[in-house]
Amino acid sequence: MATETPPPPVLYADREEWRDITPLEQSDLENPLVPIFYPIEYKDAMDYFRGIVATKEHTDRVLELTEHIIRMNPAHYSVWQYRYSTLLALCSPEYLTKELDLMDELCLKFMKYYQVWSHRKLLLLLPESPSSTSGPNPLAHIIPTPSQELTYLSRVLATDAKNYHTWAYRQWVLTHYGDTHPGIWEYELIATDILIEDDVRNNSAWHHRFFICFASGAQNGVEERELAFVKSKISLSPNNLSAWNYLRGILDKLKIRYAELQTFVELYSGPRVGNRNEDEDEVEVYDLDNPRPSSNADLPCALAIEFLADIHEQEGDNEKAINVRALTSFDAFIPF
Amino acid sequence: MSDQAIVPDRQQQLPIYAKAHISSAIRFLRQGLPRTGIDNDQARLVIGFYCLATLDILDALESASSESEKEGWRSWIWAQQIRGIWGSGFRGSPGAATNQPASSEYDPPFLIMTYAALLSLAILRDPLTQLDREGLRKYLKISQREDGSFKLFPTSEEYDLRMTYCAFSICSMLDDWSSINIPSAVTFIQSCRTYEGGYGQEPNNEAHGGSTYCALASLHLVPPSSNYAGSSALLTPAQHAQTTRWLLHCQDASETGGGFAGRTNKVQDACYCFWCGASLDILGMAQVVNADANASFLLECQFRFGGIRKDRVSNPDPYHTYLALASLNILSKDTTNPPFEEALDPLWNARASTQLWLKQRLHATPATAAPA
Repeated sequence: MATETPPPPVLYADREEWRDITPLEQSDLENPLVPIFYPIEYKDAMDYFRGIVATKEHTDRVLELTEHIIRMNPAHYSVWQYRYSTLLALCSPEYLTKELDLMDELCLKFMKYYQVWSHRKLLLLLPESPSSTSGPNPLAHIIPTPSQELTYLSRVLATDAKNYHTWAYRQWVLTHYGDTHPGIWEYELIATDILIEDDVRNNSAWHHRFFICFASGAQNGVEERELAFVKSKISLSPNNLSAWNYLRGILDKLKIRYAELQTFVELYSGPRVGNRNEDEDEVEVYDLDNPRPSSNADLPCALAIEFLADIHEQEGDNEKAINVRALTSFDAFIPF
Repeated sequence: MSDQAIVPDRQQQLPIYAKAHISSAIRFLRQGLPRTGIDNDQARLVIGFYCLATLDILDALESASSESEKEGWRSWIWAQQIRGIWGSGFRGSPGAATNQPASSEYDPPFLIMTYAALLSLAILRDPLTQLDREGLRKYLKISQREDGSFKLFPTSEEYDLRMTYCAFSICSMLDDWSSINIPSAVTFIQSCRTYEGGYGQEPNNEAHGGSTYCALASLHLVPPSSNYAGSSALLTPAQHAQTTRWLLHCQDASETGGGFAGRTNKVQDACYCFWCGASLDILGMAQVVNADANASFLLECQFRFGGIRKDRVSNPDPYHTYLALASLNILSKDTTNPPFEEALDPLWNARASTQLWLKQRLHATPATAAPA
């Protein structure tokens, strides 16, 4: 039996270089609530972590110990916190460079944990934190620029395009550095283009697009461009809530009456108008204001009917609104 | 295997496997989590809360555990109340403690754990006389940032709607709002609202079911008696309609659906049946939910041998187990088999008698004066 199990880890308790530390056991009570069955490797490392915290040691071996624990439990706030204060105390360009490389690995590996992003944010904020001397922080030049940071985030999103923490962090980078580094906004629109092209139902990408186009200051011509963009995406896949919400968002933000979209919406709220196959010889003119549904679109589209009902409601015709809205509950209008 | 691939037979609704869920919750409380649960090491208190709340909502706490065992759990929770330079609050476990009970920079109180501790103690019918009220008020005050948001722990760079909700709930439990700045907190909540009608975790983040619950519950917890005009904290009619629409669209309308997703175009997940379902209840719109479909989905998420899963194939866990039951209670209280004994308060996320216990122990009589 013993030969089948992997070799046991070398415990801190058995390591010569850790002999000066007195390990501290967790002081749980007799009747612990939700105890955790700790593997010996974790228990041993945590005993030494508590030992280190008690002696207030901030040396390079603390980085080794805390990395070891984080790889077993990336959610331990106190361990991350102690690691951060150790990095501050060491104030070494070499350790900080290594730390940034490590975080590139760990944010990808543990992207679903709040803690990795919180630590990354603290590192990025380092140049702004007060240093012991009155001058600029000596480590500031090592910290990635905001645009390098955004490039890294695109890499993370390439592995999981809807990860909430990554998007939230990206939005924080843009709001935090957007004024001082106006250039960082430039690539954002293209970044969402690519992600929406890849998956038209990626609501995180749609949300981000709204944030960069409308929530971060007005830009010239953005309204026409975005209305054309969202209509073209609706024409490709009409039953896409993300796109309809985006359209509604633009209209609400710019206080445009929904009725102005009536011609467009009616192309989607009823059965297909005309038959493209019969008109094959005709060169179809793409109407930027009112693009027609793609040939394989499921019509009528419930989200368009809902929109039509809201047009009537906004125009004060409640009876018509109720009648149209009732259509969406018909099974017949579920895409077939 | 894809969850959507399973086509359930919905001719007859499944019962709640109450006995199995009760033994599962008891097992987690007593024996805890396996080694794969290590990442909950600092959150044991909140896992404990989900298990205790599961027993409470199924009306099983009396029968499932002895008085001496409950006393042991109460003592453990009190041992997590720590005092220090930041006042006093609860941590999730003693994992970072070097010389407890003194709180240190690396062993701080957490707002989420403090919320979970108060509710857990009320479920366990603790007299709550050990609560350091003054310390807790100080801790709440220190936790609030200039922009109105609340920090996860005093030196944290995390401040989102989860902590706003916990801070508001704690003030509501204490019936004392004098230690926090309500107007700036409400401004922060409002800044998390998105064009879709839901709320993101922080300003500029995507609308999310969990954050939306935190926002709506917080806004509705603000006491009308406070100097701050509570009404201006609430939604305008247009916002109310937009938020209702967004929440309703989160419910999966397909034949195998019925559950809620946490974001637009994401898949249904049992926990959002609570976050979105309770949100609709708070808005007074629970009656427009397709409650039967929601119940069918949740009951299909049950694991026959105890616990409820986020979908029909994953492993069960205490978090999804409790929130699924809470959703059933809010949306299908009388139609499940067996029906629930008592209603759940959607704002505190506690059953009525537990809420009453807490109020009777912590609320001053008559109501405390409004903040200056």
